[in-house]
Amino acid sequence: MFSVAAVAIAAALLLAACSSTTTPSSTSGQGTSVPTGGTPQSGGTATWAELPGSAPNFIFPFDPPGLFSVPNISQFQYLMYRPLYWFGSGTTPNLNLSLSLAKAPVYTNNSETITIDMVPYTWSNGETVTAQDVVFWMNMMHAEKNSFGAYVPGINAIPDDVTNVVATSPTEVTFTLSGQVNTNWYTYNNLSQVTPMPEAWDVTAAGATAGSGGCFSGAYGTAATDAKCTKVFDYLATEAGYNPSNPKAANNSFSTYATNPLWQVVDGPWHLTSFDSTGDVSMAPNPHYSGPVKPKLSKFEELPYTDESTEYNALLGGKLNVGYLPLANVPKATTNPEVVAEQDPRLSGFYLNEYYGWEFAYFPINFNSSGNSGAAGKIIAQLYFRQAMQTLVDQPAIIQKVFKGYGAPEYGPVPVLPVTSFLSSGEKTNPYPYDPTKAKNLLSSHGWKINAGGTDTCIKPGTASDECGAGIPAGTPLTFNMQFATGITTQTEAVNDEISSWDSVGIHIDETTSTFDTVIGNATACTPGPSCTWEFQDWAGSWVYSPDIYPSGEELFATGAVANYGSYTDTTDDANIKATDFTNATLDTYENYLAQQVPVIYLPDQVQSLTEIQNTMRGVTPQNPLSTITPENWYFVK
Amino acid sequence: MIGFMVRRVIQALVVVIGVLLLVFLLAHIIPGGFARAALGPRATKPQIAQFNRINGYNRPIPIQFWIYLKTLVWHHNLGYSYHQNQNVTNLIDERLPKTLVLVGISTVLALIVAIPLGILQVVRRNKPVDYVLTGASFVFYGTPSFLLGGLLILYFAVDIHLFSVSAPQGQTVGAIVSDPRALVLPELTLAAITIASFSRYMRSSMMEAMTEDYVRTARAKGAGPRRVLFVHALRNALIPIVTLLGLSIPAIVSGAVITETVFNYPGMGLLTFQAAQTTDVPLLLGTALVATLATVVGSFLADVMYAVIDPRIRYASR
Repeated sequence: MFSVAAVAIAAALLLAACSSTTTPSSTSGQGTSVPTGGTPQSGGTATWAELPGSAPNFIFPFDPPGLFSVPNISQFQYLMYRPLYWFGSGTTPNLNLSLSLAKAPVYTNNSETITIDMVPYTWSNGETVTAQDVVFWMNMMHAEKNSFGAYVPGINAIPDDVTNVVATSPTEVTFTLSGQVNTNWYTYNNLSQVTPMPEAWDVTAAGATAGSGGCFSGAYGTAATDAKCTKVFDYLATEAGYNPSNPKAANNSFSTYATNPLWQVVDGPWHLTSFDSTGDVSMAPNPHYSGPVKPKLSKFEELPYTDESTEYNALLGGKLNVGYLPLANVPKATTNPEVVAEQDPRLSGFYLNEYYGWEFAYFPINFNSSGNSGAAGKIIAQLYFRQAMQTLVDQPAIIQKVFKGYGAPEYGPVPVLPVTSFLSSGEKTNPYPYDPTKAKNLLSSHGWKINAGGTDTCIKPGTASDECGAGIPAGTPLTFNMQFATGITTQTEAVNDEISSWDSVGIHIDETTSTFDTVIGNATACTPGPSCTWEFQDWAGSWVYSPDIYPSGEELFATGAVANYGSYTDTTDDANIKATDFTNATLDTYENYLAQQVPVIYLPDQVQSLTEIQNTMRGVTPQNPLSTITPENWYFVK
Repeated sequence: MIGFMVRRVIQALVVVIGVLLLVFLLAHIIPGGFARAALGPRATKPQIAQFNRINGYNRPIPIQFWIYLKTLVWHHNLGYSYHQNQNVTNLIDERLPKTLVLVGISTVLALIVAIPLGILQVVRRNKPVDYVLTGASFVFYGTPSFLLGGLLILYFAVDIHLFSVSAPQGQTVGAIVSDPRALVLPELTLAAITIASFSRYMRSSMMEAMTEDYVRTARAKGAGPRRVLFVHALRNALIPIVTLLGLSIPAIVSGAVITETVFNYPGMGLLTFQAAQTTDVPLLLGTALVATLATVVGSFLADVMYAVIDPRIRYASR
């Protein structure tokens, strides 16, 4: 995709910046040069920097909504408790069977029956990871779906569409579904949520006999099993610090994370040795780990940092083996987002490797807004207006000026980077490249009087093709309120660039700022009325495709979907989404349509991480686009 | 004195309840609700309803506040932080000792250095030593703590590797004080700025005391310069410092947000900052309560200390 020359130049620059004792080569890991060679060493402690405010705080992998997060799952629990299916292969988010606990699911009976064969794995207490461990998870999911952060109601997905789950043998489990499904969608978005749980967790009190809870071996979907599973869930969640029935009850579970026998039963490569409430985590290799890659390090530590500059100081001070370079400290902008332009000269003991998250950046626009005297939602509903808005987002300029080149443009709901086979032809190029003249023409040809730098007004009300559109009276000003989240400098700069651009053709924005939580809290789907007045809400975040890795739109763009905050509704879109979920249709039609329709404003996405890796460390790259870390691959060399 | 103390306790109660009510109301007028903020963008309506029911957010605000006060007084329970997955009481129990160590040590250090410095400046008034110390105190007083901390880290930790880039990360007070090398830079950062402030106050109050009639009388009676300085003037000059010290108690308890952030020190200041950033209402209320109590206690102690230091001050019942 990117020229060999560019890679070579970046490699040369990186080499010049590094004073490695090992031999770097031109091996490409996501486009950048990483050192190779050296004699692998066994043992040692690797320290890894958590992102600010991203300390893990829940150990039980059945994560409740507020605790369902990347730091908890991908950077903490997965190290100890392996999911049924592992996602992340090289730099793609694809299914990785070599790290999964089961072979590829086999769909039969018009994809209404799924047969899953387990591969041999063992728990650290000596028991085998069996098909019944999968049933245990499914039983709990059926009973406590509203307590599970990944559960999405109303889309007939797991567990709502699962009519039965049976362990037909210790190594084979069969799911029966209520109807036909798209097999990719089901594997990537539904089976991706399953994490087998050991029988030792089927208890409702400390010291109880494994399996005494009745959830492990109960029949799937029965009221009796559900009742037992609820009790088991309550106990396990409370042991993990969250008492579902009484969150305010005194709890001191963090201090027992590393000693509680429950959490020491692991099937992953690591087990917890210490944990504190600030997010300081230590792990040691699980000596009974039966997976393919055994840890070579003797200890792995996750360290919390209060902010980026503190982490940067720790890198400079040599307290970290793997950290990240804050964008503010990037010495030189790159012209190729997958190639590092220059390493920070003060970090000569490290090499830099970037990765892009499996996510897309956007902000919602409210199709039902009653703002602007009732006209805001009506204006947003006009395709020509959304096209004009999108045409005025200068993605290349934002990437270059604000993200120092380390960003990817977004043309639709599927990310351009990392490169995957999910990206449709219609999303590979920008359907609405930056063009203020075109934006101006779009507005003027639909009945708006342009007042560049001021506020356009509707002078031709009506529904004809050259008029403003239904429900937009004459004299309506083209003005909107926009609330955006502060705290991330680059995002604020990007928003200012966008506002200035919209203003240049007379789309006036009244901006207000608030915290991420307030902005996201305000962006709720609402029906037209006096309280439904928000218009644009930008919380400076992206939609991360995890644990629903298949980038289909049932959660985001389907009518009434849980995260369809702007209440976008379109029958073609609904039909496209249904086809991607319940037939074997590919994503292309869905993606191409939404790239054209602009149901949200697509924004460029900042690089997920500019990871700094000590020159004497190997195995950290390629980095998983789902931000999952695998320190069992890491080792030091001499 | 007893009447004064009773009045102050009643005032304190009113202040504490007033502050809690204010924070409670401010937090509740934030649009959008806590549920979405706590549960994230994927939160479903049933999950939001369940969250509101369990936490009592579906009840009228006066009743929520009453329940909060009741739980606080009778069960000493400050609620649960969803963002941190911990009880607020636990969080404060963990962070408060850390902050007491960090800010407490720096305040004591500042007092030990600032009082003699202030006296020295008076003794050497309008001499080079006075000018140098005055200039230095202006520089430190005007230096933001993030800048001073950052510079100290870059030189002492990154360049010459004398001290650690981060403050001690131990969970207990024992673990923190057992790593003095890591404590040096944050203590220096906090103390340098406090010394600059305290020494200026000490210098001016000492100068003022030296012009008082009782000092002139003492000199007339033949008291030596040392006796005049340390016995007659110092005690009176300390009154403003006592006020400052009393007003420092909230900072000692509530933490130093910027210094804690720069040195990666998870104390009370950082906890409060995180609570505000994430609209973590129970945690905000908890940290506000601690800060309010510290302020009330600090000003009360300052009043009592006035009477101890200056016998002329009496708090008689009216």
